Amino acid sequence: MNSKSKVPCIPIEGSISWEDWLKGRRARRESSHLVAPGVIRRKSSSSDRRLKKLFHGQRGLPFIPTEKL
Amino acid sequence: MDATKIKSALADVTAERDPTIKSLKMASLCGALWAERGVQLVVVGGSAIEILTEGAYASGDLDMCHVTKTSLPMRVRQEIMGLLGAKGGPRNWQVAGMFVDVLGPVESFARTPFRRVRAPYGDVLLMKPEDLLVERVLVSVYPGENKTARDCAKVMASAALRKEIEMDWVEVRRVANLPEYRNFAECVKLVKEVADELKIKSPLHSD
Repeated sequence: MNSKSKVPCIPIEGSISWEDWLKGRRARRESSHLVAPGVIRRKSSSSDRRLKKLFHGQRGLPFIPTEKL
Repeated sequence: MDATKIKSALADVTAERDPTIKSLKMASLCGALWAERGVQLVVVGGSAIEILTEGAYASGDLDMCHVTKTSLPMRVRQEIMGLLGAKGGPRNWQVAGMFVDVLGPVESFARTPFRRVRAPYGDVLLMKPEDLLVERVLVSVYPGENKTARDCAKVMASAALRKEIEMDWVEVRRVANLPEYRNFAECVKLVKEVADELKIKSPLHSD
């Protein structure tokens, strides 16, 4: 293993603090985008009607860009 | 949680524009209110994957299940969610600019604990990554190829391989070999593909 992360880890035992969870967000997004870039939100689901009504034609709020995490 | 605290928490969740933080804060608030009445909730599905990975996957609904055997009576559920100004029910509500679904008892095969985030209004339990990974790999292949589920499985694998989520790989192996899944070969293949992309040795690979 050659890329052990210094990002706060979400552990099996115990819990992660709110501050550590926030601190790790950008790195987790970057890790995700290494293997599945962009928004991978489903294009449709059985909840579309209610979602699109509430979110003005979208299926949820827009994701915060990586650089702002 | 007293009325003043609920009002302030609700204002905070309503104003939140970051979808992942909004979901986590809502799970924290709902979880606290249900727990006060003896029912423990856990975040499942895409919402759990989003909180664990930031994979830009979840939609505007928060899916939760109850860990405790029984849920709350419908009347109590409606009263609790009424405290939050929710509309609808008794299993899904529109509240604070999002949707909350409480789906029923949680379905989990992994023996690891639910993951836990110490969120602003109380701890939030998250579905076990071992279950989530094996399930997404299954959905990515059966009943037919599903690219979104595959991308989702890949972000789970990536976060685990890069040690951002602690994953019990022995447990992944056991769960994937259960009759409920029987997809260990597919899990090995997907994790190896992600590990190769990241230039990390796959923990599921035997050589």
